[in-house]
Amino acid sequence: MIGKEKALEILKKALSYSQADQTEAVLLGERSYLTGFANNYIHRNVGSENYQLNVRVAFGKKIGAASANVSDEESIQKVVKDAEMLAKFQKENPDFVSFAKKEEAKFDSNLGYAESTAECNAEKRAMLAKKIIDRSKKFDFNASGTVETATQELAVMNSLGVERYAVRTVASVKGVIMGSTSSGYSKESNVDIDKIDVNKVAEESVSIADKGRNPEPIEPGKYEVILTPYAVAEFISHMLYLSLNARALKEGSSFLINNFGKKLLGDNITMFDDGFSKLTIPMPFDFEGVPKKKVVFFENGVAKEVVYDTLTAYKEGKESTGHSLPQPNPYSPYPMNFIMQGGESNVEGMISNVKRGLFVQRFWYTNVMDPRNLVITGMTRDGLFLIEDGKITRSLQNMRFTESIITALNSVSEISELVKVIYDMTPITVPYLRISNFTFTGKTEF
Amino acid sequence: MQDIVESALLSAKRAGASYADVRIVEQEVEEISTKNGSVDALKRSYTRGFGVRVIFNGAWGFSSSFRMTNDEAEKIAEEAVAIAKASSMTKIEDVTLANIEIFQDDVKQPVKINPFSVSLSKKINLLLEADKLMKIPGVIVRSGSMYFLREIKTFASSEGSYIKQERIVSGAGISSIATNRNEIQVRSYPSSFGGDYQRKGYELVEEYKFLDNAERIAKESVALLKAKPCPSGVMDIVLGGAQLALQVHESAGHPTELDRVLGEEASFAGTSFLTPDKLGKFRYGSDVVNITADATIPEALGGFAYDDEGVKAKRIYLVKNGLFVGYLNSRETAKKLKLEPMGAMRAQSWNFMPIIRMTSINLEPGDKTLDELIAGVDRGIYMDTNKSWSIDQNRLNFQFGTEIGWEIKNGKIQDMVKNPTYTGITYEFWRSCDAIANKNFWHVWGVPNCGKGEPMQTMQVSHGVAPARFRNVKVGVLK
Repeated sequence: MIGKEKALEILKKALSYSQADQTEAVLLGERSYLTGFANNYIHRNVGSENYQLNVRVAFGKKIGAASANVSDEESIQKVVKDAEMLAKFQKENPDFVSFAKKEEAKFDSNLGYAESTAECNAEKRAMLAKKIIDRSKKFDFNASGTVETATQELAVMNSLGVERYAVRTVASVKGVIMGSTSSGYSKESNVDIDKIDVNKVAEESVSIADKGRNPEPIEPGKYEVILTPYAVAEFISHMLYLSLNARALKEGSSFLINNFGKKLLGDNITMFDDGFSKLTIPMPFDFEGVPKKKVVFFENGVAKEVVYDTLTAYKEGKESTGHSLPQPNPYSPYPMNFIMQGGESNVEGMISNVKRGLFVQRFWYTNVMDPRNLVITGMTRDGLFLIEDGKITRSLQNMRFTESIITALNSVSEISELVKVIYDMTPITVPYLRISNFTFTGKTEF
Repeated sequence: MQDIVESALLSAKRAGASYADVRIVEQEVEEISTKNGSVDALKRSYTRGFGVRVIFNGAWGFSSSFRMTNDEAEKIAEEAVAIAKASSMTKIEDVTLANIEIFQDDVKQPVKINPFSVSLSKKINLLLEADKLMKIPGVIVRSGSMYFLREIKTFASSEGSYIKQERIVSGAGISSIATNRNEIQVRSYPSSFGGDYQRKGYELVEEYKFLDNAERIAKESVALLKAKPCPSGVMDIVLGGAQLALQVHESAGHPTELDRVLGEEASFAGTSFLTPDKLGKFRYGSDVVNITADATIPEALGGFAYDDEGVKAKRIYLVKNGLFVGYLNSRETAKKLKLEPMGAMRAQSWNFMPIIRMTSINLEPGDKTLDELIAGVDRGIYMDTNKSWSIDQNRLNFQFGTEIGWEIKNGKIQDMVKNPTYTGITYEFWRSCDAIANKNFWHVWGVPNCGKGEPMQTMQVSHGVAPARFRNVKVGVLK
């Protein structure tokens, strides 16, 4: 960690070297460690520390950007000069109005920081991995997985007076347990590694692999499904970049175009983005320094709003909602703290209400077949079970699904009270869902 | 540079490492993207740092830093050893490496036109000219991009390797998205997801003649909106090169990675159906299917002189006359299976530990022309340019979507069809391949974004392919 003072000092220097009409300097720092295990031993154990300075300059509507991972005086100067040089060759961007305008906001810059994660050493990570390995060995399984910790620093400063710094930590523990005929999966993420119950990860992943032994084939078709939060996150994550942002509206991929105020999803579906929520890995501001606003995408199925960065917002005379990715970026703006509101059910109750259906632990390798209608295909993985008369009765071989997110979210009959943070680059917080008529289109051999 | 290498190797040795290597990597990237008549992004980025990989007490450790000083090199080597020490807490057996020939070398890749010497105005103007040509009614997003990389990498090991490699990569592409109220359709040139990438200079951009193709793809994207849907059923398909490259990537490249096969990627990417008991025995495809891993192809994106373990680039067969015969391997996995290291270990940059990656994985050319492939189809679809891909974690069940297709009836290309998709089981699919176009149709496509590993690494790989024909494939799987 280089800390607030040093980070802002680097950014101040960058701004001081610029001759541009507007200048923005962003420092992204990360110290990260990953202990990976497979076949019941640690086979990959790595660490990295990196700081990247991103500078954007604007001469009128001409914008240039440069970045480098060096922080000495000469290099900072070179990054600024590179950005200026690029801007001078640039054509005017008619959409550009301004970098982020100064905005008063009070927040704790250590929101989402835990010392236990920042200070976690290789031995502690290995001990956590060993707990999953030991549990797996008792069942004659092969344990794979990861124990990850990262300390992330973000500082933003621009010539319009924006000045922000935040540090956060993220820890994740994952178990993928392999048997000769089955596999199981579990993952927990938290700001604080000491709040992750590694025994719970071991128990869930091992018990799924245990229950999944000797799977039987089943024919593709329409089934009622219970999706775990892992499966829900993998499935609906495509909606975030294809539909729920201002860029997707402009570029035609969003099904919300001309549909705001209309009921597009089931009555029970409420989704929002909230960088300050206790239900997410928090982030107080975005990569342009704009404080996070809560954005409600759907309230009881009715389309409400999408996320904006400064480029998409100012052009329309709106305010940025604080959802810019590091710029320039073809995927910006993006919901970085997506949350789907939980319901009132519990998982056992949801299963008991299914006459005949499938319990899906996880989806894998999902991809978009039809962006406008959000038709997604993918495979089940690490646990697929048949539910009969309210009980899990058999383990099943994996199947391919091809289903529209819109159709599925109009067919949700139950939502769990429990919501879970699924962290993969950004956090997505989702519940268990019970969905009717979910379409499976193919099968595989295991 | 040499100081840092020596400091790191000495420090690792002092700390008790039985093996150590250091990679110093410097990468400079220029990216230009245009959208709807203006420059969307114009960016230069630079990264530099080093990574130290060690074996201590029979276990791996790796650490890395951007601070290029001797003190930091010593500290990072010590940290790598401390990490390896923690790894050894769960050790089952010692890591051992297959022997290799040790090289000291300095390799520079020649290019005709250094892309960093070409003016930004020239590059931007070309993309904006192409953009103008794509501006027709119905098109909502016109985009273009260029990417240029200069990389200098120094690898040194405690065994005496000292290899410096410099390479230049260029990539470029354009695309058009058309929409009506209900759907969007996309066409790209020369391929989707950023176009084509090769270890070439700016000559790559000139060779692709973007201005001759921009209007065509725009018109095709609009025409697709009115095209009939791809029919559903079991029929023959002919795949164009830009799609076949992805098919080879997903169903031949990934399942032959020996780390996957041995379960080392089970936590993320998955495993593979090509288990060691199948090596030399399993019928992967029909007799006409020959698949090679070849890092020696000049200008191929997945090529190099030495991999990140110092193994000299090689060409090997993965599938020969339809039989599965080879793996992509590392020194460690080669030793486990008593194979020769073939040089497939690469890392995205200085801050990643190398893992097994595809080099250039190629479907070797056959003896037909494209017309002959099509003439042999009574009822089927010709599909090209990847739009969507998905495959299970053992690399068996796949489903692909392409940007465009044309019906084939009685050996002739007929109407355009939209949203073509096909699905199958890998070995059944390759066994149904009965003809491959000849070397005149063969092209090595660059894939710049292959994701694998934890932490996730993005790798530049490539695939030499010519169009090929497959019999009795399930087509038209779209809800």
